[in-house]
Amino acid sequence: MNAPTGFGKTYAIWFGVLQNYFARKKRKAGLHCLWLTPLRALSKEIYYSTQQVSDELGLDYEIAMRTGDTTQKERQRQKKKMPQGLITTPESVHLLLAQKGYNETFKNLEVVVVDEWHELLGTKRGVLIELALSRLKAINPKLKVWGISATIGNLEEAKEILLGTGQGKSKLIRSTLEKQIEIETLLPDQIEKYPWAGHLGITLLDKILPVIHNSNTTLIFTNVRSQCEIWYQRLLEAEPELAGQLAIHHGSLSEDVRLWVENALHDGLLKAVVCTSSLDLGVDFRPVDSVIQIGSPKGVARFMQRAGRSGHQPGAVSKIFFLPTHSLEIIEGSAMRHAIAHKQIEQRVPYIRSFDVLIQFMVTLAISDGFRADELYNEIIKTHCFESVSREEFNWCLAFITKGGKSLDNYDEFHKVVVVDDVYRVVSRKVAMRHRLNIGVIVSDSMLHIKFLGGKRLGMVEEWFVSRLNPGDVFWFAGHNLELIRIKDMTAFVRKSTKGKGVFPSWQGGRMPLSSQLTDAIRIKLDEYYNRKAKDIEQIKLIPLFDRQEKVSHLPHVSELLIEKAHTKEGYHVFVFSFEGRNVHEGLSSLFAFRIAKIKPMTFSLGFNDYGFELLSDQEIPIEQALENGLFNTEHLSADIYASVNINEMAKRKFRDIATISGLVLGNYPGKQTKTRHVQANSELFFQVFTDYEKDNLLLQEAFDEVMTFQMEQVRLVKALERMQGQKVIIKQLEQLSPFCFPIFAERFRDQLSNEPFDVRVRRLIEQQGE
Amino acid sequence: MQISLQGKPFTLLHEKALYNNDESLLIIADVHLGKVNHFRKEGISMPLNAQQGDYLNLKQLLDKVTPKKVYFLGDLFHSDYNYDWHHFEALISCYTDTDFTLIKGNHDFVDVEKFERLGLHIVKDLIEDKHFIYSHAPVSYEHNKLNISGHIHPGISISGRANQSVRIPCFYLKDNLLLLPAFGTLTGLYKMDRTASAHIYVVLPGEVKKL
Repeated sequence: MNAPTGFGKTYAIWFGVLQNYFARKKRKAGLHCLWLTPLRALSKEIYYSTQQVSDELGLDYEIAMRTGDTTQKERQRQKKKMPQGLITTPESVHLLLAQKGYNETFKNLEVVVVDEWHELLGTKRGVLIELALSRLKAINPKLKVWGISATIGNLEEAKEILLGTGQGKSKLIRSTLEKQIEIETLLPDQIEKYPWAGHLGITLLDKILPVIHNSNTTLIFTNVRSQCEIWYQRLLEAEPELAGQLAIHHGSLSEDVRLWVENALHDGLLKAVVCTSSLDLGVDFRPVDSVIQIGSPKGVARFMQRAGRSGHQPGAVSKIFFLPTHSLEIIEGSAMRHAIAHKQIEQRVPYIRSFDVLIQFMVTLAISDGFRADELYNEIIKTHCFESVSREEFNWCLAFITKGGKSLDNYDEFHKVVVVDDVYRVVSRKVAMRHRLNIGVIVSDSMLHIKFLGGKRLGMVEEWFVSRLNPGDVFWFAGHNLELIRIKDMTAFVRKSTKGKGVFPSWQGGRMPLSSQLTDAIRIKLDEYYNRKAKDIEQIKLIPLFDRQEKVSHLPHVSELLIEKAHTKEGYHVFVFSFEGRNVHEGLSSLFAFRIAKIKPMTFSLGFNDYGFELLSDQEIPIEQALENGLFNTEHLSADIYASVNINEMAKRKFRDIATISGLVLGNYPGKQTKTRHVQANSELFFQVFTDYEKDNLLLQEAFDEVMTFQMEQVRLVKALERMQGQKVIIKQLEQLSPFCFPIFAERFRDQLSNEPFDVRVRRLIEQQGE
Repeated sequence: MQISLQGKPFTLLHEKALYNNDESLLIIADVHLGKVNHFRKEGISMPLNAQQGDYLNLKQLLDKVTPKKVYFLGDLFHSDYNYDWHHFEALISCYTDTDFTLIKGNHDFVDVEKFERLGLHIVKDLIEDKHFIYSHAPVSYEHNKLNISGHIHPGISISGRANQSVRIPCFYLKDNLLLLPAFGTLTGLYKMDRTASAHIYVVLPGEVKKL
């Protein structure tokens, strides 16, 4: 089912569920409907909505919640007597499947509803759902499965992925109602004075104060948590009267803090909340009538979803303000309007062949009632994720959990899953317990709790951040100015400080690339300028900047590819503007560096943003010759990408999650670290060992596949190269940096690529130390 | 690489070991043999042959240096007894003329008797002579000798122009403490500080270089 937010999707399905139950003459006891949501906060909302129906109609239909917060007592109660309706998360379902006798629990289950499927699809949590459904369908072949999804580019595919390839009919129900979205870009008064590079946008703070004042409640979305903390602080400094009416909300704050903010929002007590994607989803905050997006929204679907947080009532207009953080980004306001008008909405790319999740699932089943290989294989190949898994690959997974790989050594002491009468089981309680703690696919960095001395929890920060602080140092967190007192058992104890200074924590984590829908729209908007057709307010504002680009370099037409060359004291730069998003640019930059280094050995430093990328070297870069040699060739592409150093590094980073999900590396449990230390190795070690001794390890291959699909966006990268082949290349030698290349030049995040041997490189680095 | 410690000649070996020339004493820290099997027993699949490199490296080093004495500065055998012991036994029995001593570390849980049956001397905390204190973890009391220890797995990050950087193992000498790099291949690195008072000798393929 697909409809805009605020149109009553929950009730549309829930009354069907109730009808299905009460239409029966003989009603069976036990679990009847399972409702899965991606968020605990959302679970609560669904719980209150559905419970209200039972209360007001006086129905004999019990509903309960089960999430990570559910008490042990409540779980025991549920185990004895399951309610008819259970609202829960993908992880909790897997924990139920890890309980002995789960067959009995799900015996009379008739309906599964997967809420916000578009959010889960495209993540490994989606794979958890696919696997859980395959097992539940085996228990109840007549199971009805509902998916609820916001509008995405591949809705039909989303439906098919959810349902799998088994028997049965399916239908897509789409609402014809459309949500009105009004976009207003907050523009600097003088474009000439607005910075050419930056991520924060604080210079435009004055522009958002009137929005806050003229609205009932405003949500201010930032892209990352550190930006969220900084904006909250700056807003309070600029407008101290907001104290008490301004709140902060992001994923690293404690559940208590977040709940308080959510309730206050719901009750209309707040004037504004500075937040991250933590408030993207679900929960209905009726008082919100304005939304501000700070910095590039990166994707159309995400922007629409955030806009939809305001005017949540049917028929109401969603109003969203866009605050660009540097001048070129202004174009995105115009591009966004274009993409929404033309319904250019991103697809969600699903994970396939996630062997790490499959291995975890196998062990989950082995610790409850065990499984038989043939039966399980036939179930999992009916899911979209594991459709293409061969029996040999499945057998490899079996060997991985029973023999620890394909070892044939008679003296091997590997012990995890054992086979008793053809049934795969875990017999060791220690193995079972450790596995239960490891169920799930969300892997976090090593985190420290932040607590007041009195015991109140504020949230979590990454270990590396706290490790740089000494007791007495002051930092900002959760909107408070805090002094570090001491660190004990993975907890940092703090007290409030009045110093008013201090560092802001930052959290590592992937940065989203600009989607191809948005980059397409940007190219169209630039072209309109070229053809003197620019009429959007953003485009008109940008004319002085574009004129300048035209003057110092060139403003590319849609059929042109601009390459700029510059020589600074850092070295020789080549900038390429392909407008393909930072992921593709990361791939293209290492590919180009590799191909250029074939002409002569050299080491590059690579930089990239969403609009283009940079190659920097201490020697002149023979770009013209590289173009003649076929720089944009799509032949030998995979081989060339694999040959570049970076892919190994990228795969190593992906492997971190894979190693944890598949149980090679134990997850981080604050306070419990000492017990597991002697079997704790980092994922890098496993990556190295598998690379050296077990090249065909499926988990290792999975890491590389994930890099190609999600990091390099291989499909998009090939399209980009093909487009470049058809474009006219314009090379400009710059006297001074242009508005296009400056933001890339100023980026601090850089990668390196070298075709020199490791020890040669290290020796040169050591020599440079002496200089 | 030759260096002088407390006025005595020593060799820093790129095989990640230290050699006391006067006493024909080879010093090796943190080998972590048996780690693969220990992990496997716990249901964590590391490839069985991943440890072979360690035995090979150890054998080649002993053949090259032919020391009279060997000190293992702890964490020789990772946790309790497992099948890897047989490989270790086979290796040690080839060197009947060498005198092996193990200073016990926090991961050495194998029975003392098992080691002694192989002719190894077991020392609980440390060995102290006129100039040096050999221990697993750095000693915590005041002294005026040089403490040679393992346990930390020191490594250093080197960065250069154009944002390049690498992480490599090192010998780390600061005040009266010399930390040895971990010998075993299945070990991680602990990133050390680059303070001015520290002498850092990085381990490269085929050589040791002072920073």
